[in-house]
Amino acid sequence: MFDETFDVIVIGAGHAGCEAASAAARLGAETALVTINLDLIGQMSCNPAVGGIAKGHVVREIDAIGGIMGRVIDRTGIQFRLLNRSRGPAVQSPRAQADRSLYRTEMRRVLEATPVLHLRQGVVTELIVENKRVIGIQMQDSRRFGAQAVVVATGTFLNGMIHAGRETFSAGRAGEPASIELAESLKRLGFPVGRLKTGTPPRLDGRSIDWGAFEPQPADERPVPFSFATEKIDQDQIQCHIGYTSERLHQTIRDNLHQSPLYSGKIKGVGPRYCPSIEDKVVKFADKDRHQLFLEPEGRNTNEVYLNGFSTSLPSALQVELLRMIDGFESVQIIRPGYAIEYDFVDPRELRPTMETTRLNGLFLAGQINGTTGYEEAACQGLMAGINAAFLTQGRKPFILQRDEAYIGVLTDDLIRHGVDEPYRLFTSRAEARLMLRHDNADARLAPKGHEIGLVGSTDWERFNAKRDRIARLRNALDATRLKRSSREYASISQVLGADLGDSISLSQLAMRQGVKPDLVQRLLPKDVCGDVRIEDLETALADALYSGYIEKQKLATERINHHDSLKVPDGFQFATIGGLSNEMLERLERAKPSNFAQVRTIPGLTPAAVSSVLVHLTANSGGVRS
Amino acid sequence: MKNTIVALATPTGRSGIGVIRLSGEGSLEVLAKLQGSNNKFPLAPRRAYLIQLFDPESKDLIDSAIVTFFKSPNSFTGDDVVELSCHGSPVLLRQIVDICLSSGARLAKPGEFTLRALANGKIDLAEAEAIRDLIDAQTKASARQAVRQMRGELSLRLQPLKDELLDVIVLLESSLEFVEDDLPEIQILRVKEKLTAIAEKTRELAETFQAGKLIREGLRVALVGRPNVGKSSLFNALLGSERAIVTEIPGTTRDQLHESFTINDVPVSLIDTAGLRETTDTVESIGVERSRATIADADLVIVMLDASEQTSDEDRQILKSVKDLNYIVALNKIDKVPSTDVDRMVAAEHSSLGYLRERITPISAKTGEGLDELRTAILDPFSRGDISTSGLLITDARHYDLLIRTATEIAQSSEGLDQKLSEEIVLVGLHNALRFLGEITGETTTEDMLTRIFSTFCIGK
Repeated sequence: MFDETFDVIVIGAGHAGCEAASAAARLGAETALVTINLDLIGQMSCNPAVGGIAKGHVVREIDAIGGIMGRVIDRTGIQFRLLNRSRGPAVQSPRAQADRSLYRTEMRRVLEATPVLHLRQGVVTELIVENKRVIGIQMQDSRRFGAQAVVVATGTFLNGMIHAGRETFSAGRAGEPASIELAESLKRLGFPVGRLKTGTPPRLDGRSIDWGAFEPQPADERPVPFSFATEKIDQDQIQCHIGYTSERLHQTIRDNLHQSPLYSGKIKGVGPRYCPSIEDKVVKFADKDRHQLFLEPEGRNTNEVYLNGFSTSLPSALQVELLRMIDGFESVQIIRPGYAIEYDFVDPRELRPTMETTRLNGLFLAGQINGTTGYEEAACQGLMAGINAAFLTQGRKPFILQRDEAYIGVLTDDLIRHGVDEPYRLFTSRAEARLMLRHDNADARLAPKGHEIGLVGSTDWERFNAKRDRIARLRNALDATRLKRSSREYASISQVLGADLGDSISLSQLAMRQGVKPDLVQRLLPKDVCGDVRIEDLETALADALYSGYIEKQKLATERINHHDSLKVPDGFQFATIGGLSNEMLERLERAKPSNFAQVRTIPGLTPAAVSSVLVHLTANSGGVRS
Repeated sequence: MKNTIVALATPTGRSGIGVIRLSGEGSLEVLAKLQGSNNKFPLAPRRAYLIQLFDPESKDLIDSAIVTFFKSPNSFTGDDVVELSCHGSPVLLRQIVDICLSSGARLAKPGEFTLRALANGKIDLAEAEAIRDLIDAQTKASARQAVRQMRGELSLRLQPLKDELLDVIVLLESSLEFVEDDLPEIQILRVKEKLTAIAEKTRELAETFQAGKLIREGLRVALVGRPNVGKSSLFNALLGSERAIVTEIPGTTRDQLHESFTINDVPVSLIDTAGLRETTDTVESIGVERSRATIADADLVIVMLDASEQTSDEDRQILKSVKDLNYIVALNKIDKVPSTDVDRMVAAEHSSLGYLRERITPISAKTGEGLDELRTAILDPFSRGDISTSGLLITDARHYDLLIRTATEIAQSSEGLDQKLSEEIVLVGLHNALRFLGEITGETTTEDMLTRIFSTFCIGK
């Protein structure tokens, strides 16, 4: 009945789809990656950049587990910057501007070099379902592909609708068709579908810009790569530029709000608050007399410039008029106008932590379809879905990450527990265990897991072990080496730190003080140790020391809430007797069959309200509370 | 039906009216069983009906009750609730509850009505605790405190503190998360000032626990002194003021006279002891043992001495036996001595008691002189300064603990700013503080915080 049969089919070759297909294939599943246009694999629909606060963490986590995004951006990034350098290591995060076209080419090369991974072009119109299990897909051109697991990673393509000024038309991305029939297929299968909105700014012709009018923003001198396998960034690095809007421009926007589909009421979907359009910025923050703009080159072999901070759905003629009010843009030309796009997403509370839907066995959803935004957020879901889709076909145990293990765990848990009401993006403040989830220790946290499941190969594993040993030796040296009052450096260090350090202090203790930089510690290490110290190893060892005292404090608050953990759930307890629990919460409780409150608390997807309802009833039943 | 609970809502014992409360989706069905064939019309919510109740077995009329139906979710528990105000005979009430049980309801566990209200989101934890306190309240003042808390006054009082704390968190978090956005620079000094103010207000509120605890739990005060020193007179003199409505205190027996009254709204339970004299008499020695136990349990011991007589061996023995306890001395019968100057009295008659000077209050139980001073002296060791019962007081040890923890975390975070610790470290303490406050009044979620960030700052590189 099928033209071809695979173990796993991945629909969509964006950032989620690429990770999913690569992971599934490398875990040994015969995998097909189906996309509308093979030439746009790994396309960056919006900003040509990877990383940023929390997002950079995720890319490094993906890399540690054995995903591909980190390696691809390291080979194609043209401006690397480590953000928050002046802050503590837990909130520093790498970000890189990508050469958009190079990124696509490299991603496709990586996928094509993967055995048992098969690329197929075409439009998917329907999921083929049998006995509450997905068994394949129907293509528009009448081909049918069979599979035991299907990952849907369609991004903004589901019922995509572009708004530009008064124009509205169906599209998945500018210039590409939307996926309408697949969206209908999902609705028919009963998936609850909502509508979100996002936007993108205009792309400018670099030759029409007076660059001298803008403030240059250089790349880091020592680029911090995303992949733990990358020794060195080879791409030549470029500058970005920063500029500002003006009050006159704001006034013109206010005068023309009726032309914006956002304000005329045409757009119904909810947009991200942290990535507002320029119309929103001007209306909601009327007291701000200027807004920052970033001029980001799209690549080294193109004149196209991405104008970050100027997302808009105003008519394109007006976009040019507005831009030309900015110093340096007097004669700017727009290559592609900005636009807003509305698309369908599936309520992620339908998901298990493996990204498999609860409604349909074998069906996995990853990326923007789950209501998230961002390449990194999409990629990590793709990785989780790809791994678990392969595991499902191989009868292996699900691969799940917890909130205190990885930002990936935070994201999946947030999605299935709370759902989304705006496009979901990661922030470091979403992680209770923020101090532990550093970008530089993502390998220590996750490489062993990646190796265990079979995604981290032997070369990477050996490199990881060597690094782990180096850091362990370094940690011992930091503990053992003491700075004494009698030493030559003592006085100057004590003065720099503005504190008396006692008669003798170990370098580990010294590292816990604010203002102690790695190069200072390096100078203090004995010659036989510091000879071959890599600065990034030292940074990791010092970060471990810096936070060691605060990790316990961080655990304190969450653990206090857990003093009911030993409360027993009676055998055969009917959770339905607890009033006010939604069917969804009931289903999760009944599936998990917890035997005590500790287990109730850790059931993925249970809302805090549901957890406290259960607690209250368990307490009442044990007679522990009086009124 | 399986989820319908029933209980007597008024105290057991004979009374004018006894209220039986049903809560749960089967409440009306249970009522229907009690109404028997007279169950003809549906009850409108929140209206009082005079309804005849029958025994479903014998069909006998058992009572006429005023019945009110509260429809879910507009009831105390959030369930369907039926309240039956019956005649207050314990036998009758027991019978009606039994009928409810055989009609499908089950007996409510202690506190279950309140728990349901909590589970159904009708009240928050602080309010639930307040309801418990109101039921337990012994004096007008502690009832007043419980009512305040029940009306959400504690939550209201904490809300601005939470808001201010959240403001600081929002400021620090946005500087971390949105490093590429054009945000205003953080004024560390301003932030520190804010934190100090929040910590201070939190601590101030926490400190009212001293007074709150006094008002809620009261004091056990033991009175000791040799015979004829005037204990009974003092008893009566003190009781003359305001008698409190109190329940029986377990453990006190007839040979230990005890009475309760209030001083500045603090319930004081005063226990007269049999004396501490060494004795060989078996019966008396049992009394002495009991007195020792009472004294050891008391929050405060009042040793009574006679100002008109020399200090006796027995007095000294008593003073020796309380020396490790919290005690004050009431020097009685000053109406019988020429000078009421304590220093002179001590110098003249009680020279061996010079070390007690600070503890002595001269009184006359007979004329009433010095009694106000004695009342003050009783409360003094327990209240630093005034007990003002007009403001909101913290009455719950859990709340006190959380408030102190909150203040400590905030103070430490503020120190962290002094040491120029990076924001993510400072924020650990601030998030802890916010969670502690949240344990009293309800959680502030990450989503709440983000909402505030996005409404405060224009984010969006």
